[in-house]
Amino acid sequence: MSDSRQQALAAFAFTPGASPLHRAHPAVAAAPLVALGVVALAAGSPLVIASAGVSAWVLGWACGAKPAMSQALRFSIPLAILMIVVNGLISHAGATVLFRAPEIPVIGGTITLESLAAGGVIALRVISVALLFAVWSACVDPDRVLAALRPVARHSALTATLVSRLVPVAAADFSRLKEGVDLRGPAAAPVGKAELARRVVAGSLDRSVEVAATLELRGHSLRPSRRNSTGEALRNVAGDGLWPLVSGCAVAVAVGFLLGAGFARFESYPEVAMEVSWQALLLTAAIPLLTLLSLVPWGLGARRWNR
Amino acid sequence: MNLPGHSPALRCSKLDYRYPLGVGAASGVAGKDEYGPLALKSIDLEVARGEMVVLAGLSGSGKTTLLRAACGLVPHFHGGYISGALEVAGHDVRHHGPAELATEVGLVAQDPESQVVSTTVLAELRLPLELRGAREGEVARAVEEIALALGIDHLLDRQTGTLSGGELQRVALAAAMVTRPALLLLDEATSQLDPVAAEGLIWALRRLNEEFGVAVICCEHRLERCLEGADRAIAMRSGRIAFDGDPDDFLEWSLDEEPDLATPGAHALRAVGSRAVVSRRKARQALAGACSLDSPDRSTVASGASDPSAAQVQTALSIRAVEVSLGQGGGEVEALRGLDMELLQGERVALMGANGAGKTTLLRLAAELIESSEGRVVRGERGVAMLPQRPADMIVRERVGDELPGVAGHAALRAVGLEGFEDADPRDLSGGERQRLAVALVIAGRSEADDPLPSALLLDEPTRGMDRGRKADLAGLATEISGRGCAVLIATHDVEFAAGFADRVVLLARGRVIADGAVREVLSSGLHFATEVSRLTDGAALMPEDLLPTHDRSSSPTAPEGLR
Repeated sequence: MSDSRQQALAAFAFTPGASPLHRAHPAVAAAPLVALGVVALAAGSPLVIASAGVSAWVLGWACGAKPAMSQALRFSIPLAILMIVVNGLISHAGATVLFRAPEIPVIGGTITLESLAAGGVIALRVISVALLFAVWSACVDPDRVLAALRPVARHSALTATLVSRLVPVAAADFSRLKEGVDLRGPAAAPVGKAELARRVVAGSLDRSVEVAATLELRGHSLRPSRRNSTGEALRNVAGDGLWPLVSGCAVAVAVGFLLGAGFARFESYPEVAMEVSWQALLLTAAIPLLTLLSLVPWGLGARRWNR
Repeated sequence: MNLPGHSPALRCSKLDYRYPLGVGAASGVAGKDEYGPLALKSIDLEVARGEMVVLAGLSGSGKTTLLRAACGLVPHFHGGYISGALEVAGHDVRHHGPAELATEVGLVAQDPESQVVSTTVLAELRLPLELRGAREGEVARAVEEIALALGIDHLLDRQTGTLSGGELQRVALAAAMVTRPALLLLDEATSQLDPVAAEGLIWALRRLNEEFGVAVICCEHRLERCLEGADRAIAMRSGRIAFDGDPDDFLEWSLDEEPDLATPGAHALRAVGSRAVVSRRKARQALAGACSLDSPDRSTVASGASDPSAAQVQTALSIRAVEVSLGQGGGEVEALRGLDMELLQGERVALMGANGAGKTTLLRLAAELIESSEGRVVRGERGVAMLPQRPADMIVRERVGDELPGVAGHAALRAVGLEGFEDADPRDLSGGERQRLAVALVIAGRSEADDPLPSALLLDEPTRGMDRGRKADLAGLATEISGRGCAVLIATHDVEFAAGFADRVVLLARGRVIADGAVREVLSSGLHFATEVSRLTDGAALMPEDLLPTHDRSSSPTAPEGLR
């Protein structure tokens, strides 16, 4: 297979480091990422959604997840463009007609500015969530995720495996299957991306079941002992420093502010209407700024943390 | 051998088991119609603590299912319908799941990649102890001790993703052993290992068994590796126990009842009229003198290097002074260092060497999957096709004809003997047929002639997990293909397979060719890269057939030669 494709998936794999996200307990590391995810999914304004995406980028850049985020953009931008196009073709609502297409069932009719804008909002959400996933995948140690999941998923080794090991398993499977495709003779039926993706997903799930069986055999569903369960977990969480807490709280406050105040409204239909008040701009700027500020006590730059 | 007050490591009584047919059948409340045929039938078995047992059987005989039952994965993880009694170290498997049994039993399976759940070796070894709530001091000591015992202490800080198959397998064994279980189950655990590493693993097992009293059930296809250290041998056939007894008796039984299970040494002893024994010392004594028989000279068989007509034969693949470096663990490793090799059309060549010697890299280079930084690779005019380690990865669709459409696809199917299988679902094919389909997929359209065979066909470790019957099928296919002018190069760790299939053996070490010659020349004088018969006869014979009287060789039930 081409090594570039293999490297593309490998970029999502966890790389050890010493950034705040690497050092944080997975539950704590998840707090800002989940909060930013909620912002990206719940907010209507593209400005606010973009600010969540920018925050994810800032966080990932500072914590050494740039390769993973670059790959996330490579995968998500074409998907995002596709969503804008499909929404434009399917949704004919909106007052500003840009183009009148011939009448074809389902996709025919008018293409409006509003339908493209609505598709753009969905696209922004997809890109932001992809960035957050990349940061999580590259910076949060799956071993610690596994340990953290155990108290809540003790009876589901498969769930724990899917959460903590699916990316590396899928990366390894993709590498093998792609090599198999590259080795097919010229007269063998070609294998498209969709078929390959289907095989990777199915194969990864199958292999995840095997890994889950191994996890069971290691003792995953044993009742946690008092010695290293709740108390130790709490100490681990508390020992992660102030940053994740501040970061999580800051973003959480931003979410509350956003949802409670009800400004930074955006309407796609019947006409595009976006509120650009000073509060909306402040909120848009505040989310990445707070994320950035929360990293300052540790000094910015993944190079130093990951040394 | 059980200590007072200790229950046996494993006890089965009238054990029957069926796998579920589909989702939902695993609840245990479904009717028997929702389960498959009996995978285990009336198993009565008791394994004492400290006993070392070899579990033999052809593919599909029920060995893996029995091991899964012995660690609780069956029925707790895989579902299905179970009846009878099954106890592991006194724990009733029906009421105790794999995690509870994990304090008493460890399993090492065939595929090491599926047995790693952590990102570093250290975390992998710590995990079972941490899950049991062991104190930090206990964890550190146990990890250090098992790492030293299995020689993996230098790997502790490595990322599991950067380990080779052999290294991963030893890590999996260490993770299964770190809690000091009473029973250790090994399901084809040496299939990924080179002969040196496999013997090292078997020695490590014997040491664990003798020094720590761990009961071991070792399931293997290459029984010659582990029978000598075993207290007992069990053979399974169609889900039943067909033999249970002394290893010497097992060899005699297998020669009569299931010849594919008998070791090459046993076949050799039978060939000279002696009783089969597992003791190598006794076998050597019995074979001494018999080797003066007129063994066939395999050194002249169609080797391109030695055949005077070789000058007339076209080159299928020429590799000159190639250098390849691969990224590994954050650094660069020189995988091939100035390697030279040539394949002539119609040659059958075995490529051997330790794990990491560069075999797969060489095949991938020849198949244009990677490029060399130095040197030159010249391929024959019909190109080179390569079959990867897992043929199943080649198959994507649910109908054979959809994988290989058109005239060229039909020609490829005909070339591997699968004509008429166009409407079959690949999942319904046997393992051997699936492998043939994968070969058809890689050769399809390589040539515009009626026969689509390429100049060279490369197979990477195709015998992993195969019993001797399937290996014979594969060798038959390779012989048939090479007979039509296509060079066949097979990378393998299986010395017996190489000796039976190849005309010539190329041995790699650290990215270089260290031996290249006729089979007898390379495989009869080594310590590790030598057949069992060769070791027993000091190189006088290579395979059991070499010891048969001349008039019996043609009627030997071996097809092709040397594989049974």
